[in-house]
Amino acid sequence: MELDLIMMILVLVVGFYMAWNIGANDVSNAMGTSVGSGALSLKKAIIVAAVLEFAGAFLLGSNVSETMQNGIVDPTHFMDNPSVFIIGMLSALLATSLWLQLASYFGWPVSTTHAIVGALVGFGIVGGGFSAIHWQEIGSIALSWLISPVLSGIFSFIIFSILQRKVLYALNPTYASKKLVPILAGIVLSTFTMSILLGGVHNLKIELSSLQSLGLALVVGWITYLIAKILVRRIHIPETGELYNKYNLSQQLFSLNKSLKHLQKAHLVAESDTKNEVSSILNSIRILSASLQEKSGYHKRHSEYETVEKLFSFLQILSACYVAFAHGANDVSNAIGPVAAALDAIKYKSLNNSFQSVPTWLLAFGGVGIVIGLATWGWRVIQTIGKKITELTPTRGFSAEFGAAITILVASKMGLPISTTHCIVGSVLGVGLAKGLSALNLRTVREIVLSWVITIPSAAIACMLIFYLVTAIVPT
Amino acid sequence: MLTIAKLFGKSPFSPLQNHMKKVGLCVKKLTEIFQEIENKNFDKIEALVTELSKLEHEADLTKNDIRNHLPKSLFLPITQTQFLELLSVQDSIADKSEEIGNLLMLCPRNSLRVFTATFQEFFKKNLETFWDARQIIKEFDELLESSFGGIEAAKVKAMVDQTAYKEHQADVLKTAVRKEFFDLADTLTPSAFYLWTKLIDEVGSISHISEKLANQIGMILELK
Repeated sequence: MELDLIMMILVLVVGFYMAWNIGANDVSNAMGTSVGSGALSLKKAIIVAAVLEFAGAFLLGSNVSETMQNGIVDPTHFMDNPSVFIIGMLSALLATSLWLQLASYFGWPVSTTHAIVGALVGFGIVGGGFSAIHWQEIGSIALSWLISPVLSGIFSFIIFSILQRKVLYALNPTYASKKLVPILAGIVLSTFTMSILLGGVHNLKIELSSLQSLGLALVVGWITYLIAKILVRRIHIPETGELYNKYNLSQQLFSLNKSLKHLQKAHLVAESDTKNEVSSILNSIRILSASLQEKSGYHKRHSEYETVEKLFSFLQILSACYVAFAHGANDVSNAIGPVAAALDAIKYKSLNNSFQSVPTWLLAFGGVGIVIGLATWGWRVIQTIGKKITELTPTRGFSAEFGAAITILVASKMGLPISTTHCIVGSVLGVGLAKGLSALNLRTVREIVLSWVITIPSAAIACMLIFYLVTAIVPT
Repeated sequence: MLTIAKLFGKSPFSPLQNHMKKVGLCVKKLTEIFQEIENKNFDKIEALVTELSKLEHEADLTKNDIRNHLPKSLFLPITQTQFLELLSVQDSIADKSEEIGNLLMLCPRNSLRVFTATFQEFFKKNLETFWDARQIIKEFDELLESSFGGIEAAKVKAMVDQTAYKEHQADVLKTAVRKEFFDLADTLTPSAFYLWTKLIDEVGSISHISEKLANQIGMILELK
């Protein structure tokens, strides 16, 4: 009994450390861009991230956690000797923590998810042999690692292309975005509601049919649309477009420029007196057209795009929240899944009647770990990222984040542990492919693929070593 | 971790604009040289040409710097070939202004009767074409922001058209200059003749290259 208590505390501590690590390092993916573009202040970003990460972990964390708990290594394989299973889970957590420390020291783009899955497989092989692992599940997880960044990229590409066509390429971008922003806000909130409700929220005992969820999602979206419409109307925007129509300056300018062209032609062919006359007319028209240009704000026209970005910063906050929620839902399992498995094994000492679902308090525990990680270290990373990624302006940021968030949340619902970082990288590439960004470093993609290949066997081997070490010390 | 931050490369577009700024300085220096010749103020010319050479060299260094620091793995909204082509066209304007400055310095003082009002107008028109192209490059930030479309693209398209029109005007003037020049040709020494023929061609090339630059930007634009 003594040993079990020690084990339990150890597992909880390492699990908490993992959650802390996720909060410290990965939350920046969601919030960094919003801070960088100035849509959110650092303080607000941290509060919002804390609330939504916790909500995501608490409400939707169970699906992926259950995969981690019993979807990778088959617990029934260890029925005769549950201590092996407990030690295995502890080794997996320890190996992942060590690997992550090493990776962040060298600055490798390593995914927590990949590391923990690799470690669990490593334990499964040495602890119970090849048959102890659900290879089919591993196959679908590996497939989801490939598909999820690509899917995020495609989503973001489509979203940004729509923004291009509807807003950036519009004749009056400000007007166009004033119209589009409330609609998009409605769509974001609808998909958000839909993705939470579909399939039910077990922790809150909410079970709705697909039709009911759809209805509720539509209602939420509609309400958001109305609220956003009022908010957008209240933002005062100096519209150069209106000024144009009022004085019809553009038409005047256009005609004046035309006459200038013709006069210049006349000036070229004319001789002596006529030439002088024409050039004086030319001069006075030039002055007139210059003064008109000033009035029309022709040169300041690009400030329209600034207004567009200002309007979209509202949407970027929403999409960042969405990512934070999705991140909490998917990544809490990295810490909590193995802990839940180990605790169950300790509690029952036999693995028959456990593994029904992850206890709610454990999800909350993981959520708290993430929030503490964010509060103690994560804010620094958010600040750094915010300073580095100023390129992801609200229109770009929204496209990238929304595309990634949808993918991550769908994967979470399906119980697939994926890497949120890789999804966001895919999304940013998608926006880049749509000509949205000025320079992307494709070497990062190669590094990611490389780290992918290295992380899984490394974590597996590290886990095997730790497992042997612990079994040598602790009598099983 | 900082994976996302690493994904963003250093944009080569503001260095491109910087390079164009340096090319603009060369052209400005060339205008000064021209002014001195117009005022028959020959003492300063040599010093000015040296300064121009220095500026051209600086532009060259900037160009090489951009080229050497453009990793193959960098993904841009335009192709790398397009980008490098823009850079090299920009740089050739600096080369041409240095060449013209040199030729102006060399042209014999007694042959300045070729330097007519038409010639001066021709020269100025060529430089105007350049300054139009320079203005287009200045618009690059906004072009990137609008991802090469919309009203910004329409505005740049108008600028491209204007540059092309000015190039045409410069060509018309070139014909006029040539006509005047060949009327005088018999009175010139062979070396002066050679020098002035070359000078007319080189000055004319400024507007050609500027139009080429403008057209290249025009091809990037997303216009429906």
